[in-house]
Amino acid sequence: MYDLAIIGGGPAGAAAGVYAARKKIKSVLITDFFGGQSLVSADIQNWIGVPSISGLDLGKALENHLRAQEGIEIIEGNFVTTIEKNEIGFSLKTDQNKTIEVKTVLITSGSHHKKLGVPGEEKLNGKGVAFCSTCDAPLFKDKNVAVIGGGNSGLEAVLDLQPYARKIYLLHRSENLKGDPVTAEKIKTDSKATIIFNVEVQKFIGEDSVLGLEYKDKASGAIKKIDVEGIFVEVGSAPNSNFVKNLLDLNKWGEIVVDHKTQRTSVTGIWAAGDVTDVIYKQNNISVGDAIKGVLNIYDFLKLK
Amino acid sequence: MAVKIYTTPTCVYCKIAKEFFTKHNVKYEEYDVFEDLTAREEMINKSHQLGVPVIDVNGEIFIGFNRSAIAKSLGITS
Repeated sequence: MYDLAIIGGGPAGAAAGVYAARKKIKSVLITDFFGGQSLVSADIQNWIGVPSISGLDLGKALENHLRAQEGIEIIEGNFVTTIEKNEIGFSLKTDQNKTIEVKTVLITSGSHHKKLGVPGEEKLNGKGVAFCSTCDAPLFKDKNVAVIGGGNSGLEAVLDLQPYARKIYLLHRSENLKGDPVTAEKIKTDSKATIIFNVEVQKFIGEDSVLGLEYKDKASGAIKKIDVEGIFVEVGSAPNSNFVKNLLDLNKWGEIVVDHKTQRTSVTGIWAAGDVTDVIYKQNNISVGDAIKGVLNIYDFLKLK
Repeated sequence: MAVKIYTTPTCVYCKIAKEFFTKHNVKYEEYDVFEDLTAREEMINKSHQLGVPVIDVNGEIFIGFNRSAIAKSLGITS
């Protein structure tokens, strides 16, 4: 029986683990892997305290910091599939058939890549449609590619492709890029990159491999086509909250609704922090702070119990 | 036991998979499909797609690094 189970090994989970261990809360952390979504980032330049770090190195640093603590148990290679409430707290089950009994839970399960949901996307997944630009960019050497999404992950995908691709189209749904201006400036001056604004993607074209895509120019209403062999979908993320959808209050996007002063959810004894919650800004640094807030509130809760 | 991994130089999950093999003393052959176009063809034929990593454990093909499934296939517990 643990006092606290932390679900997830991204920045929020690792921060929670460090704080829980230092508060001597009897804790267990359950995660499929360490590092969170930034793991695939080639270069993170806004992690405070370090001017530049790769996602892999950040993941390792988080894991090392956590493992340096005494008194926290780590269950890796597992993800939690169900949480059931019982008389003393909660019973957690993992995909590897482990059962864990706990008094309180902090959910830091993060989010995953959202799909666009247009015809051809599913069929051509892995056949030119890609979701990991750092992984797959080299395979598009000398090819024309499209990146969909003008947020930070879309802008980073353009930079990942820059050394390899022949021509990069960045398609964005509105008139202004959403990502950081520092990155956007780099792309605007890049001779390989063309930014197309006001785009509504209609479909991906191709049978066995990507040949292009069709989009609507929202300003004129015209349907246009571009020929590309690769499409990188970077249209934001969706929360990993499916396993608690019948237990906790979620908003219409599936994010766990929390009290932002304490990180408490709609069920007493369960807290949540990071990208899985309805926090407005999804950022590593914010996830860390919110998770710590949650642990400190859990500490008070356990003490008063 | 024959383990092959198809990678690109920038692929993070490839690095994580290789660290996993090393930690568990699993010998593997690595093919960089950025440089090696024959290996790239082989990977596409095996996995019917272009994303990396692709891992071949005795003919069983895994797309991406699915740690628990690969561990099971290799007979690794924990």
